[in-house]
Amino acid sequence: MELKIERWHKLSLAEQIGNIGSEVQRAFSWGQKGNEEQKEKSIDRFLGLIDLSLGDKRWQERCLEIARMREVLCDYFFAKNSFGNSFENLINYFNAFASKAN
Amino acid sequence: MARGYKLMVNCGSPKADFWVRVLVPPLVKIIIIDKQINIEELRQMAKEGFGDFVKGVCDLEKEVLALGGELHSDCYEMLIENGSQAGNVWGFNIFIDLPKEKCLEFTSLINIRPNVDNRSMEIQSEKIKQKISKIIEKIIVWS
Repeated sequence: MELKIERWHKLSLAEQIGNIGSEVQRAFSWGQKGNEEQKEKSIDRFLGLIDLSLGDKRWQERCLEIARMREVLCDYFFAKNSFGNSFENLINYFNAFASKAN
Repeated sequence: MARGYKLMVNCGSPKADFWVRVLVPPLVKIIIIDKQINIEELRQMAKEGFGDFVKGVCDLEKEVLALGGELHSDCYEMLIENGSQAGNVWGFNIFIDLPKEKCLEFTSLINIRPNVDNRSMEIQSEKIKQKISKIIEKIIVWS
């Protein structure tokens, strides 16, 4: 885990958010295929990655949006999307960072 | 409140006085602007950022925009530091290659405000969207 944190904290913000987005996409895809076990694993992974980003000292002063991202995703996957966000909006948000990182 | 890594530079543009904040790392430019700016300047900002769009936050009361940056929350924070009230600011994206009437997307994580009945990333109020569109139309010049 130590190595993982070190590696994660060397990525740019766009790379971190882009990678989080990939796991979000996977969680959604597994959900659509009805594979709850894999979906939960992906959710665990993206939540873990978000927490690593929240712990990244470089973004200490910019964590408002990262924390809000966690809240929105938890709402989407655990609270039956009570915020009413479309998956398209969510994935567009993450894709922009993924494109920027590449 | 000033942050350690923030550098504020007054650019002294002939068209407008605006401030540039540079975040290190990475280098991301954000401008606060209430006077006219040409779409070409936004095109340049998009090129340095996300490619096809620029993030923005609008203060409905002061009719000022913060444009650029990686996160809407960076723009949001700059406006708050500039004297904006949290309740008056909303996030959007400008897709610089789309026609003027289709270039705005009112989606941002900072728009989630259950206290004013906006629970999604997208602004729900048509009135607020129209107000933002008018302010953007006043400030950004499509040449």
